[in-house]
Amino acid sequence: MEHPDQRLFDDDLLSVAFRTGVISGRWERSDGGLPPAELVWPTVVFWIAAAPRAGAPDRFFVRLDVAAYRSVPPTGRFWDPATKAMLEFANYPKGKPGSRVAMVFRTDWGESGRAFYHPYDRVAAQSHAQWATEQPHLVWDANHTIVDYLTVVHGLLNSGDYIGV
Amino acid sequence: MASQIEIFVHGQGRKASVVAASSDETLRAVLVRAGIITAGEAGEVLVFVGECDEALREADDVEDGADQHAPVDANQTLDGLGVRAHHHVHHHRCRHVAVDVNFGGQTKHRRFSPATTIAVVAAWARKKFKLDPVSASEFRLQICGTTDKPRDDVHLGELVEAPKCAICFDLVKEVTPQG
Repeated sequence: MEHPDQRLFDDDLLSVAFRTGVISGRWERSDGGLPPAELVWPTVVFWIAAAPRAGAPDRFFVRLDVAAYRSVPPTGRFWDPATKAMLEFANYPKGKPGSRVAMVFRTDWGESGRAFYHPYDRVAAQSHAQWATEQPHLVWDANHTIVDYLTVVHGLLNSGDYIGV
Repeated sequence: MASQIEIFVHGQGRKASVVAASSDETLRAVLVRAGIITAGEAGEVLVFVGECDEALREADDVEDGADQHAPVDANQTLDGLGVRAHHHVHHHRCRHVAVDVNFGGQTKHRRFSPATTIAVVAAWARKKFKLDPVSASEFRLQICGTTDKPRDDVHLGELVEAPKCAICFDLVKEVTPQG
């Protein structure tokens, strides 16, 4: 039986905002190379398009835990559908030193790269209470949807500060 | 033969919605049937087809420009208007949305179609203020007097309601998470 949070999530995948992203090639839901039995709620996978960079893929996969969607923010990190495991840090997208791209995709913080270093990520937000006052526009609430999360990652992967892998 | 399609409908003061329609229906009938406009107000509402990106092609030396994107005759069928599956339709009472963007002590003005995305307005503003293209995407539009930064896919018309057909933004650098 579908959970209430899953129903809300599925509804948001039917929204104009999400579908416009799919149609324009910005993102799409994926099975991440996993059989259905290994991809059970609240785990979801998406691919997100990246700007062309020499030697880098044209898209990255993210595996997210969206439990209690939208009440609490998702959390997740990059995924490798070829190995069916979290993406090796060496293959993470990189940003110019000191850039927002580099900070959000950093792998050297307290959670050992277990989550994106951004206020929209549940794990990062919980361990950085000060972000709520420093970046009030990025405080996740029930008006936010998966599109907000995907938009942030897509924006970073298409930023001039993104330099490849 | 008529085909069944879904179109994406945007408008003032509401979130965009998916509406099912038949290609041989008039656009007005589709909007009334979906409860987006009432039959009585139909004559007062302007309907735009497609998202407008004219500002991206505006010459750098143009000041106070305006979009030509014109409302359509909603009494025509979707087929007649060239509305296909997943096309965007925008209904609004404002012909244009007057936009002010502040940055570095300067203000740029332009009148946009309500069916213009925030992404287009932001790209226009970054170009007008001659931001370095590499770092430009780090600068976003924030509604003046707030901390609200509308997402790129939002239409300008969703942010304003007639009779106030105007909005002001500050162009601000996105905050890098620290700590």
